[in-house]
Amino acid sequence: MTLIDKLYKDGPLATRNEITPKLGFLLTILLALAWLIPFLWMGVATLRPASDGINLMAELMPSLKPTLDNIRDAWEIGDFPRYFLNTTIICTGILLVQFVTITLAGFAFARLDFAGKTPIFYLFLMQLMLVPVLLIVPNLSLVVQLGLYDTLAGVMMPFFASAFGTFLMRQAFEAIPTELEDAALIDGASLIQRMRHIYVPLSLPSFSAFAIISVTSHWNDFLWPLMVINSPDKRPLTVGLSVFTKTAEGTQAWGTIAAGTLMVIAPLLITFLIFQKRFISSFVTSGIK
Amino acid sequence: MLFSRRLMLGLAMAGAFAFPALAGEGPTEIDLFFPVPVDGKLARDMGTLIKEFNEGHPDIKATAVYTGSYDDTLIKTRASIKAGKPPAAVIMSANFLLDMQIENELTNLDSLIAADGSTKDQFLGQFFPALQGNAVINRSVYGVPFHNSTPLLYINADKAKEAGLDPNKPPQTWAELTDWAKKLTKREGDKVTQWGIAIPCAYDYCGWMMETLTMTNGGRYYNEEFGGEVYYDTPSMLGALTWWNDLVSKYKVHPPGATPGPAVSTSFISGNAAMMMLSTGSLTYVRENAKFNYKVAFIPRNVRNAVPIGGASLIIPAGVEADKQKAAWTLIKWMTSPEKSAWWSRATGYFAPNMAAYKTPDMVDFLNKNPDAKTAVEQLDVAKPWFATYKTVPVRKNLEDEVMLVLNGKKQPKEALVAAQKAAEETLKPYNAETSLKLP
Repeated sequence: MTLIDKLYKDGPLATRNEITPKLGFLLTILLALAWLIPFLWMGVATLRPASDGINLMAELMPSLKPTLDNIRDAWEIGDFPRYFLNTTIICTGILLVQFVTITLAGFAFARLDFAGKTPIFYLFLMQLMLVPVLLIVPNLSLVVQLGLYDTLAGVMMPFFASAFGTFLMRQAFEAIPTELEDAALIDGASLIQRMRHIYVPLSLPSFSAFAIISVTSHWNDFLWPLMVINSPDKRPLTVGLSVFTKTAEGTQAWGTIAAGTLMVIAPLLITFLIFQKRFISSFVTSGIK
Repeated sequence: MLFSRRLMLGLAMAGAFAFPALAGEGPTEIDLFFPVPVDGKLARDMGTLIKEFNEGHPDIKATAVYTGSYDDTLIKTRASIKAGKPPAAVIMSANFLLDMQIENELTNLDSLIAADGSTKDQFLGQFFPALQGNAVINRSVYGVPFHNSTPLLYINADKAKEAGLDPNKPPQTWAELTDWAKKLTKREGDKVTQWGIAIPCAYDYCGWMMETLTMTNGGRYYNEEFGGEVYYDTPSMLGALTWWNDLVSKYKVHPPGATPGPAVSTSFISGNAAMMMLSTGSLTYVRENAKFNYKVAFIPRNVRNAVPIGGASLIIPAGVEADKQKAAWTLIKWMTSPEKSAWWSRATGYFAPNMAAYKTPDMVDFLNKNPDAKTAVEQLDVAKPWFATYKTVPVRKNLEDEVMLVLNGKKQPKEALVAAQKAAEETLKPYNAETSLKLP
């Protein structure tokens, strides 16, 4: 019995005797393999000793004499613990403020009535169409005027309000039956209490879906932190990593790059593996696929 | 009570901010923006260099700020100038200086040179003459060459011998190079197991290689005297692109598609490509990693020998305060001194722009052991300035996008160059409207 047959046997009853799901499984496995290869290569390249030379660099077969030299090199070139700390501060800082702003804004657009609500909402959504690069100079000028140049707060600031998050929360809140809120109103709950006890708990899947998107995008952001940060001790991971991946006329030390990349993505990857089920269910319930 | 505590706190904070201003006489703090053009370990070497500078100059405290690729460095420098926080000095890709000068983003260095009791000619006389085109604009000095390059032809000598070619007589013309590439290409059926030659084409590199080929084909690439004209749709450019395309699709001795520099050097080192055209900035990497005998040679010509300059210069952005300007100038002079530029050249493979660097004992010693480091310097006799116009990066990309389409087999050279010329003229339009088309 092949792997496909096994997976297929464990699959849902209704689909067992059809041919399409079988093909679906096969396609999924192929896609998973394609997705896995770069990760495998990264792992293999990280552990490959320099003495293997560049000839074997592209091979997926691991070296017989694995070494931790590359990890040590990457670790020495960059102050990774500090980069980790900075990136974590940036991502959690942004996310915490975003939770507040998108909840309030999402609620306003979903439930409150005010003049020009729809046009304002569309105006808000238009933000999504602007390329971030376009805003670098105005944003940076503002950050300097606020005295936040070369600070982590300056990196976080432009992202405190999120058009995408507001949109997501508006959809989530709109899906909640008004009867629930009415019942709370009868019990004398204040606006804050209604949000705290009804809207927020019922929208948790949307919150976690947004959290994933927000954290991954800011974890991976390179250009904006590069613009704001000067001090080496305030660099986030992406800028620290690019010290040995960006080249113009030169060449690259693949082993060190692989090791550095592995260190940078490891926390996100591990979190994903641990909370896999949750992530997926949150996306399914929030309607994003 | 609460109010007074807040007031106290406010006063304390105001005091803390005011204190450094009152204290005044600390070291002048300056930032140096630097891209990492080569292997990342050099970021550490840069740290060593700046530490040494700070130890020798107690009145200045310089910080090396890593700023990404050459293109990222330009974006960051421009954004910080516009935001009112320019760094005191930047290692800037040498061909961005004209564009920055047009936009009033550079400090004219003439007065700093004069304050040292030196003349412009004396100051520039330290550097190889070929570098002046990218450092002097309208007879004023705007940049100090720091590390520079020319493209080179790298040859796997072992493979050449195997193929019955003499690596000591490298190909000198395009015809000879084509012939070598054919002999060095190995096939198994339709599959190529070893490419004859690889030339990189990725943003930044692609434009530089096109400039190289056009020059060796007798052409000019842009108007060296004026930033509003490029010559993309010309016979010399068409011949160059046609030849490059022929290597790919007609003779099939060059890997198809647009290949970035690191991929080219990796395939050369791994023996997958027997020859490559690449910057001398990769020489140290090749020397340390090649497990075979290699040769470096001049870029072969069709009409004449010529190469563009590459690499970076040190600049002081506009808007830097006088005391920081002075400190930056001290740093710039120190970094471009014979000893320091020689040290940096040995670490990277770039050539040292300061001619006296080649007379330092360490460098003489080094060249005796590594004669391959001489080729780029010898090639300087035929070197020309690097492509620089108004809006250098977009104008360069106008061409690069089209060249990539050709190498990917999606366009013919002629139609690509017509499109590139049209796009570039569109990009250059505002500058020409302000300058060359403006009637008195």
